[in-house]
Amino acid sequence: MLSIQNLTAAVDAKTILKGLTLEVPAGEVHAIMGPNGAGKSTLGYALAGRPNYDITGGSVTFNGEDLLDKEVHERAAAGLYLSFQYPLEIPGVPALTFLRTALNSQKKLRGEAEVTAPEFLKKVREVAKSLRIDMDMLKRPLNVGFSGGEKKRMEVLQMAMLEPKFLILDETDSGLDIDALKVVSDGVNALRAPDRGMLVITHYQRLLDHIKPDQVHVLVAGKIVRSGGPELALELEAHGYDQYLGVAA
Amino acid sequence: MSLTALDIFDPSSYPTRRDEEWKYSDLSRALRVVPQADDVHRLSDRIVIAAGETVVRFETSTGEAAVTHEDLHFAVGEGARLTRVVILDEPEDAVSIRRSTVETAPGSVFKQYVFSTGARFQRFETHVTHAGHGAEVEMNGAYLLKDKRHFDLTTRVNHAEINGITNQMIKGLVKDQATGVFQGRIYVERGADGTDARMRHQALILNDGAHVRAKPELEIYADDVQCAHGNTIGALDESALFFCQTRGMDEPTARALLTHAFVMPVAEAIEDEALRAKVLEFLEREAETYHAL
Repeated sequence: MLSIQNLTAAVDAKTILKGLTLEVPAGEVHAIMGPNGAGKSTLGYALAGRPNYDITGGSVTFNGEDLLDKEVHERAAAGLYLSFQYPLEIPGVPALTFLRTALNSQKKLRGEAEVTAPEFLKKVREVAKSLRIDMDMLKRPLNVGFSGGEKKRMEVLQMAMLEPKFLILDETDSGLDIDALKVVSDGVNALRAPDRGMLVITHYQRLLDHIKPDQVHVLVAGKIVRSGGPELALELEAHGYDQYLGVAA
Repeated sequence: MSLTALDIFDPSSYPTRRDEEWKYSDLSRALRVVPQADDVHRLSDRIVIAAGETVVRFETSTGEAAVTHEDLHFAVGEGARLTRVVILDEPEDAVSIRRSTVETAPGSVFKQYVFSTGARFQRFETHVTHAGHGAEVEMNGAYLLKDKRHFDLTTRVNHAEINGITNQMIKGLVKDQATGVFQGRIYVERGADGTDARMRHQALILNDGAHVRAKPELEIYADDVQCAHGNTIGALDESALFFCQTRGMDEPTARALLTHAFVMPVAEAIEDEALRAKVLEFLEREAETYHAL
C-alpha cells in the first residue's frame, strides 16, 4: 500500500533521511521507533509534503501511484492522513466548519458528491460521542484553548470523519494522560481495517501496548536499522537505542 | 491633535505628508486635480443622543461621488448608548475623508465598528473625548484591502474624566500593492484616574508589495490607570496553512478559510443582530473575490 524506497530528504539543506526503505501493506500497522533526532517526524512531514522538506532522492508510491508528485491536499484526498504531534490551533474557525470544509474539499477533488449538512452532523454526533467529545466543543475554534488530550481526540475525530486509507500517527501519545491515551487508542483501533494501513511513530513502547503493531522498525540517523515483530519494541524498551547508534554512523 | 480645517476646494488647506498626522496618507497627491463641486459629496452634521436614549446607527457608503468629505459630531448624553456601524464599500478610484468627533457624558456608551475595503484614498478619523466619568467606548474595525487601495484608520481617544473605559480591536488584511494605515492614540489626562484603556491592532500582509503602517500611541499623565496596547503585523501562519492542507483543502481554500476567520471576530462582536447580519453578509461577499489568489 505504502512503499518507500531509499528515501532521502533534507530540511534547510541538512540531510535528515538518508536512504529509508519501508513497505507497509494494507491492513497492517507498523511502528517506527527511534531516538530524538533520528528523523521520525521528518518522515511524517516528508510523506505529507511539508514545504521546505526537500526530497533529494528515492521514491514513495501509495497504492501504486507516485505520492511525491502530488500536492499536499492531493495526498490527503488520495487517502493519506498525518496526525500531528502538536495539532495546530486554528483561531476563528469552528471545528465543525473546519472539518466540513476539509471533507468536502477531498470529496470534490475525488469527484464525489459533497456531504449535506444533516448527513455530516449525524455522523459527527456519532463519532464525537464515541470519543467523549462534547458537541459544544466542536462549535469552538479548532484546538484553540483545548488541552493536549482534547487536541488528540480532535485528531481522531478528524480521522474517523475523513476516513483516510492510510494513517501516520506522529507521537500521538505525547501530552496524553493514561485515560486520554486509552480513549485515543480505542479510537485509532476502531479504524483498523483490512484496507487501511497505519504508521505509528513513537518514542515509547507504552503506546504500542494500546495500538498493537504488526511490525516494528527502528529508525536511527535517517535509516531503518532493524525491523522485527512486536517483541522488538519490548527489547528496545529494555535496552534503549544505544546499541544501534554505532550501526547507523 | 488640533483638528485642522479642511476645505476640499482649497488645495492650500490640504495637509501634507510633513504633517505628522498625515505622513502615511498623502491627500495632496490624491487630489492633484482640485475636484469640481459636482463631484463632491459633502456632509456636515451634529447628532445629539439624548440622555438615556439608545441609538443604533448604520452608515454605508458606496461612493457615488468621486470625492467624499464628511464631518460628523456626536454628543452622547448621560447614560445614553450609541452604536455606530460603518461599511465603507467604495469604488477603487474614490477619494474620501471622514472625520467624526464624539463626546461622551457620564455613564454613556459609544460603540463603533468600521469595515472597509479601501479606495484610491480613504481616511476615517474618529476623535473621542471621555468628557463624562465612567463612560465606555469601543472602537473596532476591520479592513480588507487589495489592488492599490489605501485605507487610513486614525483614532484619538482623550480620557479627560475618571473611570473611563476604552477598548479597541482593529484587524486588517492587505494584499497586492494595498496599504493599510492605523494610527491610534490614547491620551489620559492628569486626574483621569481609574481609566482602563486597551488598544489592539493586528494585520496580516498576504504578499510582498502590500504595506501596513501602524502607529499605536499611549500618552498617560494620570497615576491610577490601566493601559495596554498591542500591535502585530505578520504573514499568514504557514504551519496553520500546511495543517489545513494535510486535511485536504487546496491552498486557496485554506488561505481563504484562515484569512476570513482572522477578521470575523470583529463582526461577530456586534450586538445588534440585524446589523451584525448585514456586516457578515458584506464580509462573506467580499471574501468571495478577496481571497481568490
